Amino acid sequence: MPMCVLNLQRSYKYMMYATKQPSLRINQADLKCKNGCGFYGNADWNGYCSKCYRDHLGFEKQKKQGQAQLEKQKSNAFTKFEEKKKHQSDKKSKFLPLFRKPSNLKELEKPHRNSDLKHSNPDADKLMAEFMLTFGQLSESLRHDFFKYIQVFIKRIQTDINMNKPIEDVTEVAQKYYNTFNNGLNTSSTFKDLPSDVRDQLLDFFEKYVMTILFSSLFCPNSTNDEEKDLIIQERIRKLSWVNAHHLDCCISETSIEVRDLVYTAITDLLGMDSVKAPLDKLNCVVKCCRSVMEVLQHCQGGPASADEFLPALIFVVLKANPARLKSNILYVTRFCNDSRLMQGEAGYYFTNLCCAVSFIENLTAKSLNMAEEEFDAYMSGQITCVSAWESALVACEGMHQLRENLNILKDLSQRTTIVQEGSKMLREDIEKFKNELNETVSVVMERTPLVIKPRKSPISLNPHHEQSGGATDVSLRKHDFDQSEPENLNFYHQNLEIGHLNDYTKENLQLDITPCTLIAENASTISVEPTPEDHSHNSFGLSKINYDIDFSDFSGENSMVEDLTPERISLNVTPDPFGPLGTSSAIFQEPLVPLNTSLNVQEKTDSAKSKQQYVLPLVEKLETTLLDEDETDIQNLPSPMKPMSSYSGFSKQGLQIPSIPCNTGDISYLNAHSNASTSSKDDS
Amino acid sequence: MARDYDHLFKLLIIGDSGVGKSSLLLRFADNTFTGNYITTIGVDFKIKTINIDGLKVKLQIWDTAGQERFRTITSTYYRGTHGVIVVYDVTNGESFANVKRWLHEIDQHCDVVNRVLVGNKNDTPERKVVLTEDAQRFADTMNIQLFETSAKDNMYVEEMFLAITRLVLRSKKEMRERQNFTQGDTVNLRKGNKQGKKKNCC
Repeated sequence: MPMCVLNLQRSYKYMMYATKQPSLRINQADLKCKNGCGFYGNADWNGYCSKCYRDHLGFEKQKKQGQAQLEKQKSNAFTKFEEKKKHQSDKKSKFLPLFRKPSNLKELEKPHRNSDLKHSNPDADKLMAEFMLTFGQLSESLRHDFFKYIQVFIKRIQTDINMNKPIEDVTEVAQKYYNTFNNGLNTSSTFKDLPSDVRDQLLDFFEKYVMTILFSSLFCPNSTNDEEKDLIIQERIRKLSWVNAHHLDCCISETSIEVRDLVYTAITDLLGMDSVKAPLDKLNCVVKCCRSVMEVLQHCQGGPASADEFLPALIFVVLKANPARLKSNILYVTRFCNDSRLMQGEAGYYFTNLCCAVSFIENLTAKSLNMAEEEFDAYMSGQITCVSAWESALVACEGMHQLRENLNILKDLSQRTTIVQEGSKMLREDIEKFKNELNETVSVVMERTPLVIKPRKSPISLNPHHEQSGGATDVSLRKHDFDQSEPENLNFYHQNLEIGHLNDYTKENLQLDITPCTLIAENASTISVEPTPEDHSHNSFGLSKINYDIDFSDFSGENSMVEDLTPERISLNVTPDPFGPLGTSSAIFQEPLVPLNTSLNVQEKTDSAKSKQQYVLPLVEKLETTLLDEDETDIQNLPSPMKPMSSYSGFSKQGLQIPSIPCNTGDISYLNAHSNASTSSKDDS
Repeated sequence: MARDYDHLFKLLIIGDSGVGKSSLLLRFADNTFTGNYITTIGVDFKIKTINIDGLKVKLQIWDTAGQERFRTITSTYYRGTHGVIVVYDVTNGESFANVKRWLHEIDQHCDVVNRVLVGNKNDTPERKVVLTEDAQRFADTMNIQLFETSAKDNMYVEEMFLAITRLVLRSKKEMRERQNFTQGDTVNLRKGNKQGKKKNCC
């Protein structure tokens, strides 16, 4: 659509300029004055030089007094160039066939002009066919009468034109004849019996047909300076190209794509006015255009529009469309459209608005745009140029347009980024809150649980060290997720490790998996306990009980002893969601056993420093899988306090797989594992 | 002629921008006459047929832009207008002050035209600044009928449009009577002219 408008505009511009450029293929002799006075002649002066032409005019003046007088008045008022424009199309062809090249729209239409109107008018033929289609069923005599009216009208107007009567007189004649025909329709015996809507149609068709045939002689007639007015308004609009919707106080949002499409539609409709011939069709174009404008307004303000908004919007559209031969078209419609149509009805209303818009543009001043005189002058003289989104779209600069659009997209994106950032901030706060809540819950449970577990623990304890810390084991197990630096955790891990130590079989398993599982070091610590009860429950009864509390999310129903702790377990399962990507990588879970050692050590050193980072990264780029790979090495060294939870959930989800994972590989001692964990993992990755 | 109306009148709504011209129109056309817009998208061109004294009167109501900067160019709207509705905002003193200018404008562009004065937005007494008495006094001096309406609450909107239509009807009737009277004269004059011409020719 935009391109189409552009092309239209360009072609119009081209035609405009084309009229100004002289044709070069002319013999020297042809350029001389026809009188043979030796001066150069001019096609627009009938091939005379200026002096001879004036004489010639004077002679003609005497011949036809009335018309010549009119002619003289006008020619006095005209500048040389304007005079040239005025007579060019008509007289050029008579005297200098060389100039006949269709350099002008008018010339294209000329075949109809002075030649016989009865043939070679495709539009009239088309209308004729249309007539036969619509009114074919009407009687022969009726059609005959109808065309008699038409013939009379055409002859009448043509004689008037040939007599060079002023256009106002022709207009009057035409309007009178419309009335006559209308009366004839209503009174004559042939038409009287027709239904009123058919009569209306006949009236419309009459106007259409007659005007299509006479178009070339009535549109922009030679006796007027319409064409000159066209040029003036065109130039004016071009100078006002900087005016945007804002200046006009109208609410057209120039950057919205839908709105722009609608405005383009309106512009195309308006431009289309020049390409149809009958005043009725021209009016229809105006109505279509105005309806589009209405739609634009409705779109922009989300409600019905009033004239207070409509007129500025229409002015905007006219300014942006800069329709060809605007003035000629308006004058043509005003003169030869049935008068009653212009005063009433929708077409009349919109056409009146268009006239208002044009006259506003003609008389536009700084005041009417609510701007300072200097600013207005600066704009008009081109000192200031502003590039609006609209401009960039209409003026050939496609790149500029693209730039604008992209800027808009960027703006949109940045807005979305802020939203995401806010969201992440909120998420962070939520996590913080959740952490605190969890801590609270944990401390509450801590107060509760020691009473339950301590007595159980003591009988089974393998060494005194266990007894000291063992009381808080399952509590600390959870707690370590958030407070790794707590010494109790360490104790607990040591416990677990020691348990593993007791059993060679388990120990082997542990060492086996050092490298890959460092990531989930912590979670591993929770999980690591799990195989013990399953595989070697006979070795560590006391601990196995503790482990049930944590790991039996999947089989929780089975163990009645742990029931009082279930709420915690649930909460643990819920947390990992924000870290979904981590939790889902099952490969990591499959080697859960060993990392205890490494994770514990590293944690102590770096946890406080790194924990922040761990929080931020996953939040901002939540869903990036690459992040995982990237972080793997880091995380191996510095497991995040949050990760255990995620992996924990993962574990619970994949709890069934776990038993099959670890065994049978590697035999690095548990002591070695402790020191090698970080380095070996790096090598592997 | 089998038309669906007996009279077709063109009414114009004028007044400062923002006084509620369009909403008056919207209220009038929408309330009782559903969906008979010529265009379904715009409100500012509406047609409504009403019944007055057994006559079907088709009203075409033209909305106009009220901004100051458009004032000079709005004369084109007045062509063929039968009645003008001058609207001001009772909560806006300035719009009332401008009424005089609007009336002047009408006098400049139309010879005989029926007018009514309408104070719109008469729905919030505490915000009202143009007193009814002042408006009435002004209307009396200008020999024009005053209505205080509210498009929002649908107060006196219908009445106002009916009143202007009656005015137009009445003046049309008067005009026709006068025309009939003068037509008789002209017929005589023409006859005389023709005779004179004939004499000259001969």
